[in-house]
Amino acid sequence: MNQAVAEAPSVADFARTFRRIQTEIHKVIIGHQQAVEELLGALFAGGHVLIEGVPGTGKTTLVKTLGLALHLSFNRIQFTVDLMPADITGTRVILSGDDGRREFSFQHGPIFCHILLGDEINRATPKTQSALLEAMAELQVTVSGTTYPLAPPYLVMATLNPIEMEGTYPLPEAQLDRFLFKVRLAYPDETELTRIISSTTGVDEAGVEPVFHASEAADRIEALKRLVRAVIAAPAMEQYAARIVRSTQPQNSRYVDDSARSVHDEMVNRYVMFGSSPRGAQALIMGAKVRALLDGRANIAREDIEGIAVPALAHRIMLNYAAHSDGIDAAHIVERVIKSVRAARI
Amino acid sequence: MPFPRQVTRLDEKLSLILGQMRSVRARINSLAWQHIVFRSLAITIAAGAVVFASAYLLAPLGFLVSTLIVAFAAGAGLVRAIHSGWILRASALRAAEVADQRAELRGRLSTVTAMARNPHPGPLWPYLVEDTLARRGEFVPAKIERRRISRSVFALCGALLLALAAYPLTKLKHAPQASANNLQNDLTVDLNDLHLRPADSDDTGLEVSADPVTMRRLQDKLAREGIDASGNATSPLVNLVAQARNLAGHVQNKLTGGASAKSRLTLHLADAGEDANRNQVRGPDQPRDPSGPRDEAGQFKQEQHVAGGDEPLPPIDNSPQQRAAQPTPGATPDSGNEFAAGKDSSSADSDTASDLADQGNGDRGSNGGPSHGVGTDPDSLFGSAINSKLGNEGFEIAIEARPMDKGTKGAGHAYIPPKVRTPLNPSQAPDEPVSRAAVPAEDRTTIKRVFER
Repeated sequence: MNQAVAEAPSVADFARTFRRIQTEIHKVIIGHQQAVEELLGALFAGGHVLIEGVPGTGKTTLVKTLGLALHLSFNRIQFTVDLMPADITGTRVILSGDDGRREFSFQHGPIFCHILLGDEINRATPKTQSALLEAMAELQVTVSGTTYPLAPPYLVMATLNPIEMEGTYPLPEAQLDRFLFKVRLAYPDETELTRIISSTTGVDEAGVEPVFHASEAADRIEALKRLVRAVIAAPAMEQYAARIVRSTQPQNSRYVDDSARSVHDEMVNRYVMFGSSPRGAQALIMGAKVRALLDGRANIAREDIEGIAVPALAHRIMLNYAAHSDGIDAAHIVERVIKSVRAARI
Repeated sequence: MPFPRQVTRLDEKLSLILGQMRSVRARINSLAWQHIVFRSLAITIAAGAVVFASAYLLAPLGFLVSTLIVAFAAGAGLVRAIHSGWILRASALRAAEVADQRAELRGRLSTVTAMARNPHPGPLWPYLVEDTLARRGEFVPAKIERRRISRSVFALCGALLLALAAYPLTKLKHAPQASANNLQNDLTVDLNDLHLRPADSDDTGLEVSADPVTMRRLQDKLAREGIDASGNATSPLVNLVAQARNLAGHVQNKLTGGASAKSRLTLHLADAGEDANRNQVRGPDQPRDPSGPRDEAGQFKQEQHVAGGDEPLPPIDNSPQQRAAQPTPGATPDSGNEFAAGKDSSSADSDTASDLADQGNGDRGSNGGPSHGVGTDPDSLFGSAINSKLGNEGFEIAIEARPMDKGTKGAGHAYIPPKVRTPLNPSQAPDEPVSRAAVPAEDRTTIKRVFER
């Protein structure tokens, strides 16, 4: 164990490391500051990220750049309709030994890495998509009755193409819920687009310098993740996060306990079929802790929770047909919920 | 041993933070209590001022209604003031949240306050305490809450100004009322023109005098109007309203001191219809009192003494004994025209008694008299000529007016115009009624036809 790992990182170390990774990523990725921050936040919070964006907005490049900056192992899977689960997790093959005996040997699939990019994950069948479930939730892969652990840190970043929906399989809710954040990549503005053109069409390509050495990267990142968990969340903040999550659940849902006090926005009752699960509250607190550390604090504030609410909750809310017909998206619902809960708090 | 020393230092830092937060909380709570006290005082004073002013400006029922409205509004305002002040009170955690918000400390203080009693606050707890203590200057009480006095003091000042403004208003209103009340009022009203309703209060300041027959007719009329002898309405609703009015009148009198300043009003009741009947029974040839007060239907008379020039009016005592001792106007015409309808006619001679009856009847008797022709009843145009000495030391003015209840704008008392003395100047001669002469029989038909027209 090297010296850097032996010393527990401080709040200042976290913010410094985080900013340095951001800087390295932005050498390649022009714009998308908020998306990069959320992506790194998910990494240090120990979650996975679903990236949604139209083609050509740099989804794959962003994930690749992150792997380079962190100096972690990186794999990419292009999800297609004929992709099989074994293509992801790996499979047992018959190998001949030196003595001529043949035996089954497990060939690790691309899932065995630190950073996994699942490109256009919604093009694979649900069966294949669900192959990621165990790895994302439990950091392990079970093949033919044998469980193989995944080395931390482990980060799955899946991309979604929202406009080419024909021949796609929407992610099951169970799998959507396992992504800590859903990050949206919007079109770059004119200035950013100009910089993208000049940086990608010239002779010199921007190079990303790894922030960590390869030998210490995993340990450093794990230490930073432990620091994130050490951030103090006052009971009032936990209650605030719980109230926000409860407020995303419509009154008529049979999963909502009527005895619980929560704030209900009329839009929730009208447009939401199912609200956020408890994982949403966990995502709120973990995301808020990362933001608190970035701000140099050892405690979370309401602003931290509110700032991370949309990427943490939007993909966990299932809207009904009325919402789709009225053009209401989940992010709008979350913003309304935040507004309602903020107004109702003492 | 560095570990205990470090813990001690951390505790000291924590106690410094919490001590400062206690000061912040004390200031916030002080303002909350001031809010409750000042608002409550302001509401009470303002409501009192409004009630006091309405006691002077409104009639009893209006006063009652306005007082109820003000009381309800004041009660609601008090509840709201107490509730809002109670909400402003801050617990330790609430004070920390307020300080966090105003000093932009991003939840540091509220987290420290909430986790201070937690035995295992976490590995970053020392960092949080140190970080918060480093920002100690940002949450001193004077920065978190600059005010020492609640803004509600302005509401209290406003209420005091309102009370001050109401005071001269009541003085202005009270002055003419008091002067009017100080007059010695003496009214003669025909019973038929009397509009009856339950009294505003028990003490109306009114003394009614009438002959027994008129009194009986008054009782009958009261019964017809649904009012019992004590002035209460027989209808439960009307009775309730009367009681409410009575209560309001009492309160008003207590507030305004109206009961002590109120003068007594003497109301002489006359019954023209009854007197006419009696005159008819008595016969057309009986003499009438030439100087009795005239009372036409729909009129009331206010009498004016002019005898003796500027002599002051004798005080009026309306007790039955005093009235009995007074000379009747008919017996001593020179002594003025003071009329006492309640006088017992049996104690005087027959002429006096008949004159008294005629006075109550006015000119409706068919016998005429010195004042014949004043009325327009063709049946009573002609009377017998009389040679009695005519009074020449006074005159009377019949005023076309009805006693109107001004109580809707005053404090429940009708405004009585003051008596006006009009002394004669040396060149004026006193009004002398023309001696009545007998009307020739041949002219009576012609004259009667003229008046019938």
